[in-house]
Amino acid sequence: MMTRADWIVLILTVALLPSLYMRYWGDEGPATSVRISASGQPDITLPLTGNRRFTVHGPLGDSVIEIRDGRVRFVSSPCRGQQCVHSGWLARAGELAACLPNGIMVSVLGRDRRYDSINF
Amino acid sequence: MNLTVATTRQDHRIAWLTALAITIHIAESALPSPLPGIKPGLANVVTIVALIQYGWGTAAWVALLRVLIGSLLIGTFLSPTFLLSLAGALASIAALRIASWLPGRGFGPVGYSLLAALAHMAAQFFTAYWVFIPHAGLFHLLPVLMTAALIFGVTSGMITQLALQRLRAAEVSAL
Amino acid sequence: MLPPVSRKIACMAALACSVFLGACGRDPQPIHQEQILVFGTLVDITLWDADKTKAQQATAAVIHTLNELHHRWHAWEPGPLTEINARLARGETVRLAPDQIEVIRGAQELSRKSGDLFNPAIGGLIALWGFHADDRPSNVPPPAPGEIQKWVARRPTMDDLHFDGDKLRSANPALQLDFGAYVKSYGVDRAIDELRRHGVSNAIINAGGDLRAIGRKGDHPWRIGIRDPRGPGILASVEIQCDESVFTSGDYERFFMYQGKRYHHIIDPRSGYPPDGAMSATVIYPGGGVGGGASTALMVAGPKDWLAVVRGMHLQQAMLVAADRKVYLTPALAARIHFEVDPPPAVIIAQP
Repeated sequence: MMTRADWIVLILTVALLPSLYMRYWGDEGPATSVRISASGQPDITLPLTGNRRFTVHGPLGDSVIEIRDGRVRFVSSPCRGQQCVHSGWLARAGELAACLPNGIMVSVLGRDRRYDSINF
Repeated sequence: MNLTVATTRQDHRIAWLTALAITIHIAESALPSPLPGIKPGLANVVTIVALIQYGWGTAAWVALLRVLIGSLLIGTFLSPTFLLSLAGALASIAALRIASWLPGRGFGPVGYSLLAALAHMAAQFFTAYWVFIPHAGLFHLLPVLMTAALIFGVTSGMITQLALQRLRAAEVSAL
Repeated sequence: MLPPVSRKIACMAALACSVFLGACGRDPQPIHQEQILVFGTLVDITLWDADKTKAQQATAAVIHTLNELHHRWHAWEPGPLTEINARLARGETVRLAPDQIEVIRGAQELSRKSGDLFNPAIGGLIALWGFHADDRPSNVPPPAPGEIQKWVARRPTMDDLHFDGDKLRSANPALQLDFGAYVKSYGVDRAIDELRRHGVSNAIINAGGDLRAIGRKGDHPWRIGIRDPRGPGILASVEIQCDESVFTSGDYERFFMYQGKRYHHIIDPRSGYPPDGAMSATVIYPGGGVGGGASTALMVAGPKDWLAVVRGMHLQQAMLVAADRKVYLTPALAARIHFEVDPPPAVIIAQP
């Protein structure tokens, strides 16, 4: 069955995994804006207010992104896997969807913990 | 003058193992996956079986050929997807090499499978980070990806375990 | 299984548990934060040290109030305001409810003080620019200069409105009321009233970036970050307490790009075009009431005329971020603001 070494690796992995979550998944709270990063272009940051759709150009073609009701999503993308589109609506700070083949990442930004509220 | 390519027994093994791995890989690539890079990695079962039965050399060939030929067949050769798969394959081969140096009883199929899966996923992630999307935000995906690697690594390890048991039973009964 | 392995396993398990428990050990602060989509925007309600039932009731009351106000003062969706506008345009006399009188009179006074730079009577012009819709597409060109000039010539202002008791009449058929950010400040003020009515005395109501904070955060004032008009980060921070409002108008809130030029939703009633002198304008003042009208007027005034608005509206603390990124401040605000960008921007402190 499983050797001693197998068990050690398994238990170490299980033990260390929560720290990954704690490090990169700190609940940043409610969403306030979204950052669109496309390789080779400067980032665009938009507030999550209002409803709009826009196109981002990538090496494979155009990805369409939609903001509606405080949420954001990939509407369409020229990649094969369509995982970015399947990620669906992003609503909480820290959430993100990425179209790796097209080099585009959409990440939701939340409140900065240093401040109690942000004016803009 | 006749040029013949003398194929060894190892070549034959590599060939049919690779063919098996590619078949599983292609079948799996037809499945949708929720996040980039998350695939059950069932083709890895073939790699680990090769490692345990025939040694690291065979396993390495199978892993690399699978990525290469698989991408040619699916049509993703030299694409970003290909680069990610290649990075993953190289990392898991390296991890298996190092793991195989462990003295004593060493690792079993589950251990190898888990290590290979973790190395594979980590390499894919960092390749995506350095080459395609150098943004800190991408790290938000890392815990999920590594959890998936843990689950699929252990699962394929157990499948490998079963496969090996069957193979050995078949060998015994063939004696 | 194997005795040495089971000891190793126990040790690993203990390690895993301690990792988990470590995450639980963080001290929770008595802060209740909720974000809701209401009032046409994302509204952030922060409550300090309020008991759970009080917090829930207060929040529910705020949502109810804001929903009502959203419908009551919506500038283009059919409702009470569009009805008033239609009847005024036909020359009819409209009978108003007390709260409607309060809003319109308040806006009239504010408009006067701002030299009509804050002008809620130009709803028709705003509609002409396409901003009377949730989404103003980017491939549609701005209105023709001829159309805009025609509009500007008709010059509707709040002075065209005449009250007779609770009855209202308009002397200018081009007048169309669109209160813009003024409704935001009104809504925030009503929301704060609701919170107080429910026994909450330490809170922040932030309606899509414009906020009013009452009380304190325990022993400390509330720390407010003011966003950079061009970046995702924070330009400056300020600490507020007791009862203060922070309102900002910017060219990044609602806009469209056409042939590389940005056209935003704050229209200068004098020219008929959105001004490009300033990227954002912020006002801080005690209590409520002034807010959206003041920041709008400052945006329209731009760096050239902003001091006139500051004087006319009796603003103590105002900030203007000009298009060239120079930051104009009143002395009172310069004394309490803290810039968070490195290097800090070029600052001009002007005595009104």
